[in-house]
Amino acid sequence: MTTIMTPNRRRFLQTAGAAITASLAAPYVVRAQDKVLYVNTWGGPWETAAKTHLIEPFTKETGIQVKTVSPVSFAKLAQQVKTGTYEFDVTTLGAGELVRANQAGIIEELQAPYEGGLFENGAASHAFATVIAWRTDKYKEAPKTWADFWDVEKFPGGRSLQRYPSRVIPLALLADGVAPKDLYPLDVDRAFKSLDKIKPHVRVWWTAGAQSTQILRDGEVDMIGIWHGRYFEAESAGAPVAMTWNQGEIERAYWVVAKNTPNLDNARKFVEFATSAEPLAGFSKAADYGPLNPASNEFVSPEDAKRMPTSPDNYKLTFEQDMANFGIDPAELAERFEEWAAS
Amino acid sequence: MGSSLSRLTEKTNVWPWLLLAPLGIYMLIFFVVPLVDVAIMSVTDPRLSLVNYERVLTGALYQRVFLNTFLTAAFVTVCCLAVGYPLAYLMAHSKPRTAMFILLLVTMSFWTSFLVRTYSWMVLLGNNGPLIALLQMIGIDDTPQLLFTRFSSTLAMVHILAPYMIMNIFSVMKKIDPALIRSAESLGARGWSLFRHVYLPLTAPGIANGSVLVFVICLGFYVTPVLLGSPREQMIAGLIGHQIDEFLAFGMGSAMAMVLLFITFVILTIYHRRFGLDKLWG
Repeated sequence: MTTIMTPNRRRFLQTAGAAITASLAAPYVVRAQDKVLYVNTWGGPWETAAKTHLIEPFTKETGIQVKTVSPVSFAKLAQQVKTGTYEFDVTTLGAGELVRANQAGIIEELQAPYEGGLFENGAASHAFATVIAWRTDKYKEAPKTWADFWDVEKFPGGRSLQRYPSRVIPLALLADGVAPKDLYPLDVDRAFKSLDKIKPHVRVWWTAGAQSTQILRDGEVDMIGIWHGRYFEAESAGAPVAMTWNQGEIERAYWVVAKNTPNLDNARKFVEFATSAEPLAGFSKAADYGPLNPASNEFVSPEDAKRMPTSPDNYKLTFEQDMANFGIDPAELAERFEEWAAS
Repeated sequence: MGSSLSRLTEKTNVWPWLLLAPLGIYMLIFFVVPLVDVAIMSVTDPRLSLVNYERVLTGALYQRVFLNTFLTAAFVTVCCLAVGYPLAYLMAHSKPRTAMFILLLVTMSFWTSFLVRTYSWMVLLGNNGPLIALLQMIGIDDTPQLLFTRFSSTLAMVHILAPYMIMNIFSVMKKIDPALIRSAESLGARGWSLFRHVYLPLTAPGIANGSVLVFVICLGFYVTPVLLGSPREQMIAGLIGHQIDEFLAFGMGSAMAMVLLFITFVILTIYHRRFGLDKLWG
């Protein structure tokens, strides 16, 4: 959209600033404004965790004021660069989006915040896993693999998976017997053949995190591929449920800085702070993630580590999404998947 | 006297335009300009070509979803009419207190956030919900799946959109001169014949208005079919959002939006030829 349609605080300020260009006060107005850093968050408990563990300590240490904007919008990040109107300076992206963002040149270059912490100009922050969870009132024996998830003879009952093809395709290949190390680049045709087998048993293709918790907790389905944080919500609600880290699919979340933001230095400072050991440990614990900075582990208690996909004990059971060797354009995959799902 | 009146109207002629100006300028800036922008994006992103339209019009997924969108909107409109007409009749022809009560129920549902209403249906239709429990109580063991089906998504959309239908028909019914009914009766019209030849034609504008509103609003539905239906109930708005939010395919999203707009425009034009769009607002 054109800038004219999306008037926001900065646009307003720029206009107001332009109107009083002659005035000596203008430069001060602009500078004072630029001191405030705008961080894009997912809102809700995610934002609360970020405020407590990342934003407030950051302001305390640097004196830089931070305001939040939610929810996270990849489309907005792109439009900001196109229009030069910035609603946020820093945002968080998944690996797939990150690759696309970096290709499109809509994010700034960053330094590695810690060794191995940089990928496609995104600072690796935290991880979550898509895991197998099930109703313990339905199954006496625990399923262990995605092949078990696909096995409706041995584990009869309703299934649910996320309606998110780039996440589901690797799971379908594991279920079909592909070894985790041979997953990428993905054999998409084989994956769809595997998906055909489970399709009649998938009662819900969930689309929202809250929905996945609800259908597991209320027993709408008996087995589900669910984000580990959302699983723990169902567990703490007292539902008879269990999960395994085995073959959990790990995905990383990255902090990125919007290209050409007027707040570049502060934005980089924030990303560096947010991925440093202690703040990241606190945030990951509060938001039910696993920190990707290895130095964070020292601030994680053994009890909390059990709930994190990145703790050494759990991590060795899981596998990671490899967006660099994905093997198919995600947009093309999405079109094929939606067509498949709708037929 | 006639000439002075015409002078007066001539003189006041600029006033409607002046009064319209703020709204006109607002619509120009916030509706027409962005719409043109969308139209331009649909043929320039990622490059100057008609490739987006080619994909939208020939791709199996897009054809399927467009067809589903219009069929769903049509079906929801028919259901709203079936539910709304008798209810509007009840409201228009019962004692003021009863009418007030029904009106209150309708508007209360109308004022409740539609996300809340969507999630309420999840609770009501769920496996552990009251409806399934009721079915089991009366001895049906093999209970059908209600949630995440076309049934549940249609039910919720009808629930959300029915007030538009009810209010439109109700306002028309309220305005019917009772003398017309009485004179029809005095001429011997009874029952079905009275309804068919007198009452129904008199309420037709309300039916047409309500139907167009429900149909057009339903075309843009997104969240409800996604949350309560299965991927088979996908509507075009969801696909547009997906293209833009997930893949930054602004051109593709814009082309879909333009096709949707064009088809809607065609439908409204047909409606206008038959009934007149001006009647839409009573």
